[in-house]
Amino acid sequence: MSGGYNEIHPEPTTFWSKYIFSFDHKVIAKQFLWYGIFFLGVGGLMALLIRWTLANPGVPVPIIGNLLFSGSGGVVPPDTYAMLFTMHGTIMIFYAITPILIGAFGNYCIPLMIGARDMAFPLLNMLSFWFAFLSGVVLLISLIIPQGAAAGGWTSYPTLSTLIGSPGAGQTLWCLAIFIFGISSTMGAVNYVTTVITLRAPGMGYFDMPLTVWGLWLTAILNAIFVPVLGAGVILLILDRVFGTTFFLAGASATSGSGDPVLFQHVFWIFGHPEVYILILPAWGIVSDLLSFFSRKPAFGAKATALSMTSISVLSTVVYGHHMFTTQMSPLLTQSFMTLTMTISIPSAIFFANWLGTIWKGSIRFDSPMLFSLGVVFVFGLGGLTGLHLGTTTTDLFLHDTYFVVGHFHYTMAASVLLGGFAGIYFWFPKMFGRMMNEGLAKVHFWGTMIPLNGIFFGMLLVGYGGMHRRIYNPFIYESLQRLIPVNNLITTSAILMGAFQLVFVYNFIKSLMSGEKAVNNPWEVGTLEWTIPSPPPHHNYDIIPVVKCGPHELGNPNLKTGRDFQYQTEELVEA
Amino acid sequence: MSTRGRSELQINLATNIVIISMAMLFATLFMGYAIYRSSAPVWPPMGVQRVSLLLPSLSTVVLFISSFFCYQVSVSTKKNELSKGHKYLNLTILFGLGFMVLQGLLWNQMKSSGLFVSSGIFASITYAFTWIHFAHMVAGLVALLYLKKILKPETTNLMTKTTSVENFWYFLEIVWIIMFITLFVF
Repeated sequence: MSGGYNEIHPEPTTFWSKYIFSFDHKVIAKQFLWYGIFFLGVGGLMALLIRWTLANPGVPVPIIGNLLFSGSGGVVPPDTYAMLFTMHGTIMIFYAITPILIGAFGNYCIPLMIGARDMAFPLLNMLSFWFAFLSGVVLLISLIIPQGAAAGGWTSYPTLSTLIGSPGAGQTLWCLAIFIFGISSTMGAVNYVTTVITLRAPGMGYFDMPLTVWGLWLTAILNAIFVPVLGAGVILLILDRVFGTTFFLAGASATSGSGDPVLFQHVFWIFGHPEVYILILPAWGIVSDLLSFFSRKPAFGAKATALSMTSISVLSTVVYGHHMFTTQMSPLLTQSFMTLTMTISIPSAIFFANWLGTIWKGSIRFDSPMLFSLGVVFVFGLGGLTGLHLGTTTTDLFLHDTYFVVGHFHYTMAASVLLGGFAGIYFWFPKMFGRMMNEGLAKVHFWGTMIPLNGIFFGMLLVGYGGMHRRIYNPFIYESLQRLIPVNNLITTSAILMGAFQLVFVYNFIKSLMSGEKAVNNPWEVGTLEWTIPSPPPHHNYDIIPVVKCGPHELGNPNLKTGRDFQYQTEELVEA
Repeated sequence: MSTRGRSELQINLATNIVIISMAMLFATLFMGYAIYRSSAPVWPPMGVQRVSLLLPSLSTVVLFISSFFCYQVSVSTKKNELSKGHKYLNLTILFGLGFMVLQGLLWNQMKSSGLFVSSGIFASITYAFTWIHFAHMVAGLVALLYLKKILKPETTNLMTKTTSVENFWYFLEIVWIIMFITLFVF
């Protein structure tokens, strides 16, 4: 519990203290980045196996099929299919998006963008990564144990997740991994919240913070409050599985009182709904900043954007019931949850309009971070709109548990966050590693991601609307769904294509890391604090703690006499 | 903000966030309990005996005394009487351990009266909540031992750190009192 004093800490000298057990937020950010990209690959491969099975039921998986499923001649067996979609969801949400968006960008951007030398609690920060690492190891172990990994869906509803539904140790390890990951997230949240409140550079008010920091800060607050709720849920699930308690077992004998499987759903979604905002808020923040930077214009209504994100965070805590309209809850309750859910549209529409206002009449530079940000605007718009159908009880009753839901949450949580994450990586890569990424390959990567991505997720909306349920091993045993085979083929082809184009990213990333063009201090010509120092920054970030005199989005002011079209946050504001 | 004021604020913020997180965990448990209890036709369920109040009451008294000594630690630290602070801290830890021993006895008693972990929802709740609280008591004890180590004049921000540990200990006390009232008394 040592307080950070914003002093210059001595630079570590040994390999272990510099790269492995480092206290430096920049190194920890990179560790989270590697960790996240690794799991993104694992989760992505699982997605491809799922898609292959759905488009070609009973056909062996090409190339890797015989290696992975030798017992069934290369075909994905039904129980393995259930494990695949469970682990795909879990890995993508907790082990890919969270480490990249929150772990990597949170650690990297917060101190640099607010002018601090490190996080408030560097030791805690390091522990946060190693807890996440331990959790990842537990999860990976669950993949190779005899009865296989968890197979109850990423939501792990009882009774699928009780000993009756999934006997092996996989589900128990899943719970354990999630609990350890929760501890890691809470540690990170303690750090982020404290750092933003106490270590902002002199002169930097809350509304002078870049919106990226706003997003990450709100995420951290939600994390600290709601991750423990899931923690309680999985502890009880572990106790049910290991010690024989009956929290989630229905129909135990009347004399001893009965458990309640639906209670887990309540607990899960009290956490789960804020969780989707935990994942998307950092991406929103990044995109809000980048749209302004690359339109060479101040962010339209930046304060309103920040306040909208705040009110969405508050509202996100009281809408969870819309995930459970079909659990026989009282119609009065469904109407309340529906109304509250619809209320979220108001702040969402405000900041979405602000995004459009920001790029309106801007002199847009279509660099790769901007392309990805514009991609987010498109896919998030689509994802948000399809959310209206699901938040409304009357339509949700029909669409519940179909691929429409899968399409919707992939557009919001997966596509938006993925594109936002790529935007962030392309944008901060020069600062992180001191080299530029190849712009041509980045653009190929963008179009190679964006087009198939819409093929996948729009296709999912279509088949869902056509009545295809999620989580079915072979939907085409139902005659009514056989007409959806062509669309499913389209989705799978798009998925394979999109997967292939990610290799371009991996190649570009590694190539640029080794031999990319050296980055200058401020390659994108923007004024936030991290671009005033060398790329990559020195160990202590700032030789002298900067004094902030204006907001982060002062671009395109015609009265500037410096020959630049932007001004640094350390410069006195020139009136427009 | 002065460097000193800033690091005090950091410690306070961090402690409060940790307490809020843990409070959310317990709040979830109590929410679940409220649902089980309000949907059950009778409580405790038919054929299940209530747990005798003797050991839980004794635990409450012991933990209260422990918290009282914990308060004395911060009073002495404020007056800069650190040797007195150490004495009170030892008593805090001692009574904290006493509480934990009583919890062990409680589980033993429950088991010998035929209330096993797997005997239904009443037993599930009683065992699981006390276990989870016990696990947090271990964390609280670690915090007290940490305070024992740093309770010296040269420690920076000693008062803030003392108050943080103190608040955490009170938090565990409050959770126990809520558990005592809702699980055992009513």
